[in-house]
Amino acid sequence: MTAPVTGPVTGPVIGVATPRSPTARRRRKSVTLTVIMLVMFGYAVLPLFWLLANASKSGADLFSTFGLWFGGDFHLFANIGDTLSYQNGIFLRWFGNTVLYAVVGAGGAALLATLGGYALAKYDFPGRKLLFAMVLGAISIPGTALAVPTYLLFSQAGIVDTPWAVLIPALCSPFGLYLMRVYAADAVPDSILESARIDGAGEFRIFRTIALRLLAPGFVTVLLFALVATWNNYFLPLIVLNTPDWFPLTVGLNQWNAQANSGTSGAGDASYQLILTGSLLSIVPLIVAFLVLQRYWQSGLATGSVKQ
Amino acid sequence: MTAGVAAALSLALAACGGGSGGGATAPAAAPSASAAVQDALSKPAELTFWTWVTGIEKTVARFQAKYPNIKVNVVNAGQSADQYTKLQTAIKAGSGAPDVAQVEYFALPQFALAKQVVNLADYGAAALKDRFAPAAWGQVAINGGVYGIPQDTGPMAMFYRKDIFDKLKLKPPTTWAEFVDVAKKIKADNPDNFITTIDPGDAGGVDSMIWQAGGAPFQTSGESSVSVTLASDPGVKQWVGTWSALLGEKLVDPQPGWTDEWWKGMGSGKYAAWLTGAWAPNGIINSIPKTKGKWAVAPMPQFDAAKPMNSENGGSSVAVIPQSKNIPAAVAFAEWLNSDPEAVKSLNSEAGLFPATKALLDDPAFRDAPQDFFGGQKINQVLGDASAAVNPGWQYLPFQVYANSVFKDTVGQAIDGGGDLAGALKAWQDRITAFGTEQGFTLTSG
Repeated sequence: MTAPVTGPVTGPVIGVATPRSPTARRRRKSVTLTVIMLVMFGYAVLPLFWLLANASKSGADLFSTFGLWFGGDFHLFANIGDTLSYQNGIFLRWFGNTVLYAVVGAGGAALLATLGGYALAKYDFPGRKLLFAMVLGAISIPGTALAVPTYLLFSQAGIVDTPWAVLIPALCSPFGLYLMRVYAADAVPDSILESARIDGAGEFRIFRTIALRLLAPGFVTVLLFALVATWNNYFLPLIVLNTPDWFPLTVGLNQWNAQANSGTSGAGDASYQLILTGSLLSIVPLIVAFLVLQRYWQSGLATGSVKQ
Repeated sequence: MTAGVAAALSLALAACGGGSGGGATAPAAAPSASAAVQDALSKPAELTFWTWVTGIEKTVARFQAKYPNIKVNVVNAGQSADQYTKLQTAIKAGSGAPDVAQVEYFALPQFALAKQVVNLADYGAAALKDRFAPAAWGQVAINGGVYGIPQDTGPMAMFYRKDIFDKLKLKPPTTWAEFVDVAKKIKADNPDNFITTIDPGDAGGVDSMIWQAGGAPFQTSGESSVSVTLASDPGVKQWVGTWSALLGEKLVDPQPGWTDEWWKGMGSGKYAAWLTGAWAPNGIINSIPKTKGKWAVAPMPQFDAAKPMNSENGGSSVAVIPQSKNIPAAVAFAEWLNSDPEAVKSLNSEAGLFPATKALLDDPAFRDAPQDFFGGQKINQVLGDASAAVNPGWQYLPFQVYANSVFKDTVGQAIDGGGDLAGALKAWQDRITAFGTEQGFTLTSG
């Protein structure tokens, strides 16, 4: 939300040519927009609040108390304890797996996309246009459709049911490459590269010391997208992993949910409490990543490069 | 293993199975009639078993204690459709499939006809028939073969809120006509309440009720002839008659099961009954513990009280995958797991499964145990009798997994919107027929 309005509200501002300071424009209030904002805010926050409220209930309270408020007893910490210790603490293992897949996969994807995007934007080589067209084509194929062929391929390579089967596809982000190519075309002026070359810098040094810094906001954007995508990836790990020890949180939690919903499984099943608490815990790192990375993202976007 | 070796082996085994059937088995060995299978128990082997049943590790540990040469890795590779997707992908890929896998009855014909599971009759498993409830055995005996060993069953029963029925001075309905009357009385008492719910996305639930009405709309003969008679089957018509009325007068709530709202309704008394499989008690006890003492169980309402008929909802078998490097050991394990008296007791008490085997269904210790949660009612007597009353004529489609996945778009829509059930069943039949034909089956419909 915006900062509180301090000065008097002046007349309507039309166009951008008025010599007023940018804060003056922010003072305009619109009831409609505020209402829409509030609705969107509620839409985004209500499920989170529901999750928090229900993860703090005891199993007996879950289905016998009002859904959008806390139950009689505050059970959150007991639930966290149960979640972390259920099935010999497999939740922590899943958590670690997800961190591994997300950090290595998303970090690698962002790095590869930056390298590739920069090369496609700034170097002229045969087949450049074709390569780029193929990347654009690749974006249009949903990952879910590729999961089964990927499995067959990985099965031949003998890496099914290992972390590699999740990591290798996570490293490829056609969308990230596309984004970085478009971004690098504008964010890294050719004149800077030329002057660096005249000063005698090698291509890799130019990339490392100049281009990478200019590309930082794009890099962080791709990293965030890739992080969210890998963190939430469900279908590919579901197909390629069979051993619960390698599951990410999405597949593991879904398995608990299926158990809780299951008629054919037995006593000592995962309860809904564990699933809710596990879900709550599993979104915390994403929120932290957003809060931390967003800073770089915004400051980067505000940074200029050269005077045009 | 090459095809030639496999063929030779299965011939030899079939010969053994024919010769040594009956009760002439050594006491310490598994109950199989096949010598090669018994032999496998004493040789070192390693098996991977895909199952989602929690607590089954304890049963497997008992197997390991008895047969220490065989190491069994229990892997929870996902539940039901998730696991089938993986299993079929791994089978197609030629590697990565387990030796033994949990397969529900509704999915077994699909695996059997595609030859993705081993025909256990080649290993003498036909001799186990008498150990199981006929309805359970009927689910694994497909096309003259035996494609799985029955593990658990879900004979249908009516779980109901005794407190609500007592308050309104109602008796559990014994016929569907009484069921509709009771539903009206519950509605009259409080317009927000319903006698029960029906899940618009759950094909299995509706299949079970059609089966319970004596219907048999899916029939497969030979390897590729399938008939689908959802539009004309008399059992389907009976179900449509009763449930059109229930839905039309809003006496039942079209509500997806297992959701927050549904469990809340079950806990608060908004829903007075749950028509479902015998596996239900665990869910009730674990999810809505505050309703302790308020539930009871009764047999399903009947269309013809003189000829009581019942059906199954859910239930699983354990199948052997042809990719296994040690099929005889895999068969021996599957047989022990689901028919050895020690194993089946453990499956029931330690994994919470409702038995498929007569050893337990006829056991007084099982039948006569009063259940605290159900106000001391001996629920296993009701559920055991429900199992005995199951109509064994039911068959699932050889592509039931697909059929179930499009149920929601056809019949589910009518359930949800109070629409024309008969028309929706016809639409479902059309989708099933079109898909089956595409898959190379010869379809007849009506």
